[in-house]
Amino acid sequence: MTNTSTSTMQSGYAAKKKAVNTLVYVILAIMVIIWIAPIVWLVLASFSGDGASTGIIPKSFTLDNYIRLFVEHDPNTGEVIPMSEMRFPYLQWILNTFIVAVLSCVISTLLILMVSYAFSRLRFKTRKTFLNLGLILGMFPGFMSMAATYNIMEIFGLKQQLFALVIVYSAGAGLGYQVAKGFFDTIPRSLDEAAKIDGATRNQIFWIIILPLSKPIIVYTALTTFIGPWADYIFVSYFMKDNESAYTIALGLYKMLSNETFSEYFTVFCAGAVLIAIPITILFVIMQRFYVAGVTGGAVKG
Amino acid sequence: MVTKTKRVLAVILTGMMAATALAGCTQTTKTESGSGTGTASTASTADGGESKSEGDGGSGSTVDVYSDEMTANIKAKMKEEAAANGGTIELKVWCASADLKFEKTLIEEFKELYKSDDGSYEFKIRSSGAIGEPDAGGKIVESPKDGADVFNFADDQLSTLVEAKAIAPVIELFNSNVKANNTKETVDACTIDGTAYAFPKTSDNGYFLYYDKRVFKDDSAVASLDDMIKTAKDAGKNVYFNLGNAWYNAAFYFSAGVTIKYENGKQTTTFNTDEGLNAAKAMCHVAENAGAGFTGSDGGSGDNTAVEKGFNDGTLAAAVIGTWEGPAIKKAIGEENVGAAKLPTALIGDKQVQLESFGGYKLIGVNQFTKFPVTSQALAYYLGNTQSQLKRYAERGLIPTSNEALSDTKVQADPAKKAIEDQTPFSHGQGSSVSGKYWSTNVGGFGGEIVTKKGAFTDDQLKDSLAKIQEQIDT
Amino acid sequence: MDFLDYAQMTTGQKVAYNIKSFFTGIPGAIANFFKAIGRFFKALFTLIGNGFKGYGSRFIKGDIGTKLSYVIMGAGSMIHGQIGKGLCFLVSEIAYIYFMITFGINFLLKIYSTGVYVDENTLVDGVIGKEPPNYELDPIFGARTVTNLDTLDDSNKILLFFVLTVLVSVAFFAVYITNTKSAYASQLIKAEGSKPVGFIAEMKMFLDERFHVTLLIIPVLGLLTFTVLPILYTIFMAFTNYDKAHQPPGNMYWWVGFQNFADVFYSSQLKSQTFGKILVWTIIWAFFATFTNFIFGIILALLINKKDIKFKGFWRTMFVVTAAVPQFVTLLIMKLLLADAGPVNSVITGMGLSAVPFLTDGMHARITVIVVNMWVGIPYTMLISSGLLMNIPEDLYESARIDGANAFQQFTKITFPYIFFVMTPYLITTFVGNINNFNVIYFLTGGGPSPADYYQAGQTDLLVTWLYKLTINSKDYNLAAVIGIIVFVICAIGSLITFNMSKASKNEEEFS
Repeated sequence: MTNTSTSTMQSGYAAKKKAVNTLVYVILAIMVIIWIAPIVWLVLASFSGDGASTGIIPKSFTLDNYIRLFVEHDPNTGEVIPMSEMRFPYLQWILNTFIVAVLSCVISTLLILMVSYAFSRLRFKTRKTFLNLGLILGMFPGFMSMAATYNIMEIFGLKQQLFALVIVYSAGAGLGYQVAKGFFDTIPRSLDEAAKIDGATRNQIFWIIILPLSKPIIVYTALTTFIGPWADYIFVSYFMKDNESAYTIALGLYKMLSNETFSEYFTVFCAGAVLIAIPITILFVIMQRFYVAGVTGGAVKG
Repeated sequence: MVTKTKRVLAVILTGMMAATALAGCTQTTKTESGSGTGTASTASTADGGESKSEGDGGSGSTVDVYSDEMTANIKAKMKEEAAANGGTIELKVWCASADLKFEKTLIEEFKELYKSDDGSYEFKIRSSGAIGEPDAGGKIVESPKDGADVFNFADDQLSTLVEAKAIAPVIELFNSNVKANNTKETVDACTIDGTAYAFPKTSDNGYFLYYDKRVFKDDSAVASLDDMIKTAKDAGKNVYFNLGNAWYNAAFYFSAGVTIKYENGKQTTTFNTDEGLNAAKAMCHVAENAGAGFTGSDGGSGDNTAVEKGFNDGTLAAAVIGTWEGPAIKKAIGEENVGAAKLPTALIGDKQVQLESFGGYKLIGVNQFTKFPVTSQALAYYLGNTQSQLKRYAERGLIPTSNEALSDTKVQADPAKKAIEDQTPFSHGQGSSVSGKYWSTNVGGFGGEIVTKKGAFTDDQLKDSLAKIQEQIDT
Repeated sequence: MDFLDYAQMTTGQKVAYNIKSFFTGIPGAIANFFKAIGRFFKALFTLIGNGFKGYGSRFIKGDIGTKLSYVIMGAGSMIHGQIGKGLCFLVSEIAYIYFMITFGINFLLKIYSTGVYVDENTLVDGVIGKEPPNYELDPIFGARTVTNLDTLDDSNKILLFFVLTVLVSVAFFAVYITNTKSAYASQLIKAEGSKPVGFIAEMKMFLDERFHVTLLIIPVLGLLTFTVLPILYTIFMAFTNYDKAHQPPGNMYWWVGFQNFADVFYSSQLKSQTFGKILVWTIIWAFFATFTNFIFGIILALLINKKDIKFKGFWRTMFVVTAAVPQFVTLLIMKLLLADAGPVNSVITGMGLSAVPFLTDGMHARITVIVVNMWVGIPYTMLISSGLLMNIPEDLYESARIDGANAFQQFTKITFPYIFFVMTPYLITTFVGNINNFNVIYFLTGGGPSPADYYQAGQTDLLVTWLYKLTINSKDYNLAAVIGIIVFVICAIGSLITFNMSKASKNEEEFS
């Protein structure tokens, strides 16, 4: 008697649980569809042979859009046009972006680690002033002084050059110290003390003790600073102006959608977008646990 | 005594005439720069009055630019300019990315024509399609020293360029030829306050009507906008007229009698009047049909895409657009089905009124801050001369501006050319109508709002918006 | 109030409490904002004061070397035996003097007129103005040419180099004071009879006692040159008439005092109304954009992390994919999908309904951008809160279950408050980030639709996108600078309110 009632109770509970779980699965499935649909459409359009009038599902499929990213034929002679003469030199843009991303990733990561370590572990007279100053500077909208920065680049002879972008992306990186500082704050100070007793200088402590413990935050910082240049449009468009050979991918792809070329290049744009999205997505998926560790360890615990 | 004065006067006048023929606009230009900043003193204003008449007088005689003597003169000047830059003439040219390949061939011809006889200079001309015709003016103004030496642009940007003193006035030698060779409307479009600032290139930066002959049987079927919408609706299609764009919807304001003028560096408009209200109400009247016989917005995808897509999937039967979409429309519905005509009439006030338009031109400008002023102007002149215009028509289908090129039989037979010609009496030059401010004001946005709300506005709301527009443009 | 007190409240109370403390916090935060500015300047002046402190007394007490170093930098150090250090000071002095003579002084003198061509004969509205003098005629062609570009004055250059000169001078001044201090210090050491630290030993200190200098010198220099300098320059711009009609090098601009601020706040009806409307929308947007993402992100994380749900990695990855595709791509795709004649609307009309003006009607567009922003942002919040959910102590739930709390109660009583509490600093950054969220607005609607009563803007424009349009489209650089300053003030006040509400700021105080 007791047995059966417990089992009905249990099976009732199980049924309810099952119902709830099914509901959760349904909700998740619907959400995934909503989230993935635009991406799927992007991929479909990238294979579309219908040009700009691609509907929900393309009527014809082709690989042409991908080929056109890398090879352009002269419409009259049919000859392959060299990359420097191409209307949209996609490969060149990828290379540019990659160079800028790698350089600014290395420089920014170093700067951020230096600043956040100094603020987190070292004590000096002007520390508080610098902390406040950093906070204040960080609150000015990023591109407010874009025109001024451009003029400064001119002084340095870096006008319309890739390295100007590296500087723009990484010179101000020191301001992004909060997350990494939050992380350093969580490393026990007793480690430093012990090393100091052993006669290590602060320089040695930084390199030998702290950095090896900071893998998640290093990866997190490197990841975010590496991805930045792939998506930036504002600075590139203002800085590069007509120097097409120094465009990065975001600006280049955006140009494909200009009124003049939209109808001809829309599907090529989609193909280009898919191609850059693939490596970044893979990188992001692999690195997501570092990302979470970085943010939760740094920003959140503050 | 009197005779003596007269004789002196005659001598002075003759001298002035001669000077004008050679030096032309120089006086005028000097005044321009003063009045541009609004800082001209009384003395220079007096100068201005005088020089203007001189400038007009100078248009009579032309010197052949390509005569041996002149070519030698120009080459000498090029040598001089190159010497200041270590023997190379480095120029940058901006044009539409679609035209880039073609323009490059012209540039090669130019290099060959002005090749140094003694090898004392060489050309290094970089052409780029990164900054297209709609953006060129803005980018030049943003930082003239980074801009192209020679750039192609749409005539609506001329006033902005002149205000910013970023575009060089045309050298008199070239200017007299430009004046003699091109239609008067074109020359006017290059001129602000009596000074020519650009070289005309094509005359098709305006809009007219493209229609599907299967829906609209003949020209009378496309005479009135209301009838067209009805016919299109019955056929389950739409008429495309982008009221959300200040360039197109100006048609209604012009036709209603609203003044939109830009003279002496001053923009005058009468949006906030009964005429303005009539125009807005006329748009509301048309917009009532939005979605049923009428499409008044590009839906955020740009005109070209909207039109192309509309003809491709058969939702459009007619569109107010320009020659650049001609090839795409032909491809979509077949060349034999494409008709072109001037704009229809619209119900404004309580009458059917012919819709007026912006008659647009594509121009070639020379950067005021170029290191090679004469070379740049020679190049710009070459790119815009009759032969180049004819080649451009053959390669790119763009309608010329030169009298001689226009009378070419092939050009004569082009239906788009006829439509443009029919529309010309009802068109307004952009340079003399609007300053850059007009485009950044929400004239377009207001039209877009009318379409979105399908014309559901009270007169007071319309008046209120028109007053705001007027205020924005006039401040 | 600590976390436990807070956690014991009902959900309604918590929401009410948070809303209440947000709004009651506003006056305090504004006050704090000005206090903070005050404190900042106080700190700055103390710093400067400290520099001066003893400046005179050191001179009086100083020996010949110390006294000499007041004029010839490094002299004291060298006389006291610190040759290397002294040389460094001396070189910096020579470099500074050279810099000022060849470059700096010129711009300090020109800054008053910011490049207005000075000609006493032409006075307009009391301001000196004149056309560029160096146009010349060509005998054959009649060309008007600019003969020498480099001699042209340029307001931009003058202003920029002025700021640069001031920054360099400030830096030099700091070095100068250090020089006198160092000379005096070495004098004292010498007087004691010991030897001052050698150059090498002193350099070694930069790896230990002064390691912070080594670490910070490059970032600070980078910031000074590429962040502080441009920001100062832009702030100055807010006080000029640098607009479409006054663009160098063709036209110069000059100082107009607070005119641009007056325009934005009251004196120009159109601009001030536009500003008001955009400001209100910016705040509404930032609020919704932040909290919709936050709440739905947590819910999604909970769903995925629910105990019996399988394929957690798969679900998470699906959402992460959308976050990984560069934003401008996804946003442009969204724009195309939602266009009036786009695929989504063709499905809607296909079902016999009328098309929805997602992006072309003001109200619709505002809702659309918030919804699309959820699509963009929720995966991020989901990722982060997933990480946090695992940190919640399991015994909290256990005791709740013993008390008979159901799943919903557990969520409102434990999960949500915990995450909210822990994520407050993150929320602040997101809120400030959303005030500055350029991408979503610019790529999706471009700020439109734009009715006639907006100056250079549209109904979905935020202050930052307006700033961008003012710079790029209408070239109202001066107004853009004013808007930039206002955005800064708003962000500062917003952060202060939330910082005051959260414990994080207190922790930082305790920590330092």
